Amino acid sequence: MAIALECKDVDVRFGAVHALKNVSLKLETGKIHALLGQNGAGKSTIARVMSGVLTPQNGTLKIMSKPVVTGSAAQAQAAGLDIVHQRFALPPTFQVGEALEFASARKMGGVVFSKAKTDSAWAARLKEAGIDIDPKAKLADLPVETIQSIEIVRALANDADVLILDEPTALLSPSAIQDLFNNLRDLRDRGVTLIVVLHKLKEVMEIADTVSILRQGALVMEPTPTSELTAEDISKTMIGEVVAAAPLAHAAPTLASKDVVCAFSAVHSPTKGGEIGLRDVSFELHAGEVLGVAGIEGNGQRALAEVFAGLTQPTQGDLSLNGASLEKCSIAERRTLGLRAVPFDRMTEGAGLTVSLWENTMTWIADRFRRFGPIVSTAKMQTDAATLLDSYGVVYNTPTQDGQSLSGGNLQRAILARELTGTVKAVLAAQPTRGLDFNSTNFVWQELNRVRSDGAGVILISSDLDELFGICDRIMVMRGGAVAGVLEPEFSAVQIGAAMVGAT
Amino acid sequence: MDFMHRALSAIFPVIAAFILAAALFALTGYDLYEVTAGVIEGAITGYGSFWSTLRWAMPLLLIALGVMFALRAAEFNIGGQGQMMIGGLGCVAVALLVPGPAWLVMPLAVLTGMLFGTLWSLLPGILKIRYGADEVILTLMLNFIAVLFVSWVTTGPLKDPAVRGESASTPKVDEALRLSGGDGMSWALLIMLVVAALVAWLIAERTKTGLQMRFVGEAEKAARWQGINVDRLKLISYALAGLFAGLAGAFEVLGPNGRLVTGATPTIGFTAIVVTIVGLSRVPGIVFAALLFGGLQAAVLFLPIVSDLPSSGLKILEGIIAILVTAELIRRRRAG
Repeated sequence: MAIALECKDVDVRFGAVHALKNVSLKLETGKIHALLGQNGAGKSTIARVMSGVLTPQNGTLKIMSKPVVTGSAAQAQAAGLDIVHQRFALPPTFQVGEALEFASARKMGGVVFSKAKTDSAWAARLKEAGIDIDPKAKLADLPVETIQSIEIVRALANDADVLILDEPTALLSPSAIQDLFNNLRDLRDRGVTLIVVLHKLKEVMEIADTVSILRQGALVMEPTPTSELTAEDISKTMIGEVVAAAPLAHAAPTLASKDVVCAFSAVHSPTKGGEIGLRDVSFELHAGEVLGVAGIEGNGQRALAEVFAGLTQPTQGDLSLNGASLEKCSIAERRTLGLRAVPFDRMTEGAGLTVSLWENTMTWIADRFRRFGPIVSTAKMQTDAATLLDSYGVVYNTPTQDGQSLSGGNLQRAILARELTGTVKAVLAAQPTRGLDFNSTNFVWQELNRVRSDGAGVILISSDLDELFGICDRIMVMRGGAVAGVLEPEFSAVQIGAAMVGAT
Repeated sequence: MDFMHRALSAIFPVIAAFILAAALFALTGYDLYEVTAGVIEGAITGYGSFWSTLRWAMPLLLIALGVMFALRAAEFNIGGQGQMMIGGLGCVAVALLVPGPAWLVMPLAVLTGMLFGTLWSLLPGILKIRYGADEVILTLMLNFIAVLFVSWVTTGPLKDPAVRGESASTPKVDEALRLSGGDGMSWALLIMLVVAALVAWLIAERTKTGLQMRFVGEAEKAARWQGINVDRLKLISYALAGLFAGLAGAFEVLGPNGRLVTGATPTIGFTAIVVTIVGLSRVPGIVFAALLFGGLQAAVLFLPIVSDLPSSGLKILEGIIAILVTAELIRRRRAG
């Protein structure tokens, strides 16, 4: 078997963090290889080394048996390797055709070119790949799965033999994941070697021919055929210790009370930034329940969260907290009343990456730290932040370090620490476990469960049905900005799926 | 450690700029020893030189403190020049037209200068925040309007009848209202500068407004989700920018100039932006950078006396500093 990609003794350090420890890896051609590991295990780092985006302190790299200089994306591309990043590389304000011409190594036109020609050339390419789209469409207006397919077309335009996909499923809905997997299988059958960074077991078992596992920067499982492994083998190797089975185990749903903490009545909201608004949404959130919100992404979940948090004003209808209308309440007032939210994107909405941890957790309540007139005690803010972060098990050195120094799971813990402390009556958590590893996911579930047991109402927006089935008391399905149905246990995937797509 | 790292990364480009400029002067045949001695004498050791450095550092420091608030809120307010001139206008109008004892008129004149500067800055702030107009273009254009407005005032309503020729100005303000003599600096001004820097530091680092303003600038979306009033804080950043620039204008009028002069210090508002960037948008850094650039300005005025390097040579140095500091800033952003 020919070797598509070989790394030897790759060592990467970021300051004090030893991100990759002498990793050597050989991947055969014509297969789908999964790179698996928890958050911070070094999956994305090795992917970046392979693609030449990151220069390792030590180590060599061979692509299609040709040695290449590490840290040169151009050389890696020339040797036949390309990468689709987790955060897409195509400029979102560009038209599809422009962006492809701009970002692809293979140019359809020369230095001076006819846009009509390059557009039609790229449109043809896209069509070959099964994407029927106007090359003049703006990328930012397209759904995330389409952008991803376009990214793949961009990467393959240069006749890449090896394609790396860094967490390609992180942003996709379940049905889009299936389409992506079909696409990947086609590519494999055409002879492309695929290296896919994943962190969900189920997805690995489904798509990968071989699995390699990283743990804390070290390769703990050489590429092994998936057929020889069980899910348990993989999870054991990945985590390094046996975890209590069935993380979804959850006390039987109990509607502790029929007290309504938060109610939407006939709420309409405007469509904003390409996100559909709410259409006549009415529901009641009870004290002590987790109300799941299911739906294909882009069906009003964001509008629901923004109306709840107060970022968007309803155009009609009203929502209330403990019977009192929130119509005139600012976001800050809502939060003081006990209405909290864990936003969708923890890195832009949940926390500031270039802001220190104490500022991330304490700035919004800076008033409580006043000493002389308007002067606040930042020392007290820092010690209080440290206490808060400690009590949520956040791993950090000092509260003055930036948000970006935390791994995804730790950052989410810090956000939960901020949102679930103090007066908490109703919480909305939007995709709170997306992209998190086992332990962090479990932690999020436990915390949501805890505030629920304390008598708060929890709204959980998720596109992970396992998660919804595991911890929700009821599940509301959204479609086209409206409530398509509210389901009670026993939940059935068929029923929910039907409500999502409107087959009922 | 982190502080040392930040400080070094701010100072290094400045040192590199000095080396590059020195190489340039040497290559073009100037006597490097003579130039260096001239710069040091002009900025520090010469008679009255350090006083002169402080005099030029004054407007730079004040405007830069204002720019700092704007940059912290991620607003690129480059209207310091105009805000300073309009502040000077408000100040001189009170000083010339309001009768009364000096102890009353002087603070009133300074406060009016601050108020005028604030209003001049709030105008683009409101247009940006309410209507989404581009603040860079607005503040830049308002600089021109301010210059022309001041030149109309100084050639029209408040013209000094004694002045002929091109440099139009208002009459001198009463000596009793002056904060410094013709050499431009005084202990009273110096103390007020220190107080201004302290107040700016307190607002920026030790008030809810200052902390939230930086949060808004660094992570606007996260700020919104946490109920921080983004628009209000951005508006406050405009107000503070104008307030400090207006104060600079008032001090120029009651201090070194003694009147409002059209065409005085036409680029200082822009140099102040560089001062803010070199100072890493932190008060201690800005004080340091203002002294550096104030010293250069003092040297620019002194150098032609002792060296044949044209004073624009030092403007090249300023330019190199600006480029290198900006490059370092971008590098650090990229590195994360």
